Amino acid sequence: MGALLAVEGLELAYGDVAACRDISFEVAAGEIVTLIGANGAGKSTTLRGVAGAMRPRRGRILFRGEDVTRMRSHERLLAGIALVPEGRRVFPFLSVRENLEMGGFRHRGDKAKVNALIERMMDTFPRLRERAGQRAGTLSGGEQQMLALSRALMSEPVLLCLDEPSLGLAPIIVQEIFRSIVAINRAGTSVLLVEQNARYALETAHRGYVMQTGTIIAHDTCAALKQDERVKEAYLGRK
Amino acid sequence: MTDLLLLFTQQTINGIYLGCLYVLVALGLTLIYGVMNQINFAHADFVTVGAFAAFFVATRWATKWLGLPDTTGYLLSIVAALGAGALLGLVVNAAVFAPLRNRGDELRPLIATIGVSVLLENGQLALFGPIPFQFDSPFAQHTIRLGRIFFSQQSVLVVIVAALAIGGLYAFMKFTFLGKALRAVSQDRETAGLMGINENFLIALTIVIASALAGMAGALLGPVIVLTPFAGASVIVKAFAIVIIGGFGNMEGTIIAGILVGIIEAFTVQYLGSGVIDLVVFVLLLVMLVVRPTGLIAERREENV
Repeated sequence: MGALLAVEGLELAYGDVAACRDISFEVAAGEIVTLIGANGAGKSTTLRGVAGAMRPRRGRILFRGEDVTRMRSHERLLAGIALVPEGRRVFPFLSVRENLEMGGFRHRGDKAKVNALIERMMDTFPRLRERAGQRAGTLSGGEQQMLALSRALMSEPVLLCLDEPSLGLAPIIVQEIFRSIVAINRAGTSVLLVEQNARYALETAHRGYVMQTGTIIAHDTCAALKQDERVKEAYLGRK
Repeated sequence: MTDLLLLFTQQTINGIYLGCLYVLVALGLTLIYGVMNQINFAHADFVTVGAFAAFFVATRWATKWLGLPDTTGYLLSIVAALGAGALLGLVVNAAVFAPLRNRGDELRPLIATIGVSVLLENGQLALFGPIPFQFDSPFAQHTIRLGRIFFSQQSVLVVIVAALAIGGLYAFMKFTFLGKALRAVSQDRETAGLMGINENFLIALTIVIASALAGMAGALLGPVIVLTPFAGASVIVKAFAIVIIGGFGNMEGTIIAGILVGIIEAFTVQYLGSGVIDLVVFVLLLVMLVVRPTGLIAERREENV
């Protein structure tokens, strides 16, 4: 059985240009794992490959022991992988409530369950309840991020993938989002986090992989990575 | 003064009737564009297929073989045309559009719609020949009189059917999971996939709905147009103009633009003569393209469907 998610020798390309190659990493059940690295290191691409938004050119992705490499994104969601995409990507002309319903699309046969899940999301983020009938495109960045996160949770994922959840948000909102990520993880969901803000990422996650120009150059526990000279210099800044 | 008001009312009613016919054709075009970002050049031929299906059901099977009255036969033929359109959409999508789409390039499916159009036109030409068929609606002969305003039962039927279709489609989009998913796919296809929505299924569903509407429009247009294998072409150009005026992919815009074009056409016939209808419609199109290229409902231009 082994890890919940095992990525082996993954290579992803845009057209003929490889964005990342020979990517191997694992996420164990109950873990928060982060991929950190500079802009353009291939973190988001890797995450999109895991969620099925991109088809890999080489390599394998195993999820709960099953080969999901060839599965399309909607099949991966059914397998238990949900992605909060970079830039949030809420459906701008659907209402907040409708966005949540779309997140729970897999439960569409069970209206009571969808409504119960929506209630739970709105309890976590009361702001979403206030704006339930409003078009998602009119929300602030922070509200959209709360919505995108809740929308992904509507499918009750086993593995939650987050792509740059702090992007463009005020620090106070970022803290709220990261507190929720920890809470979600404590409730039993494994998390794969891609984040440019390495400080937040290393505080939140258990283990981390460092990416540079399309490959993984280091991995360790976050406690150890925080002490790593290269990581300190490149991503945390000297104190 | 009252005469002028009367004339105005009469032509507005005529225009709404015409507009409803156009809307039924244009809605399918706009739906497919909204969800797939693709223009279906075969749409006109789906209308023709619907018209022929309706013709044979109304004038042969239902009336001659089953012995039903004319009126029931025609009503039945509308349903049959709807079914024929849906079935054709299902088959064409499965056989042509879906395999090409999965290869991931955008030009080939577009060219394929032209191919499907040629195939359907010539297929029907081989089956039915080039001579126009006489397709009379039993409702066209009965006139309803309200004071000094006249309209045929056929126009009432068309408006009712169009209202039902539009209302049904609206309710589907607004209140069902699948309808909302369709809107989600049209707004952001990739993210919809990440929600567990199978885009290929929804695209197939969109094509089936669009084709069913086109087929049904064929049954209602059959008695109005010259019914040959190329009949659809006579309305499709105007339908394209309506879709552009309404804002490509925008359902509400398309409905408003369709009714508007119908009314403008009715008044053009009244005051300028029927020869200049296309001229007026296309001048309107050009003015729209210059003044408001995003369509009537500009502030919501990004909402498809």
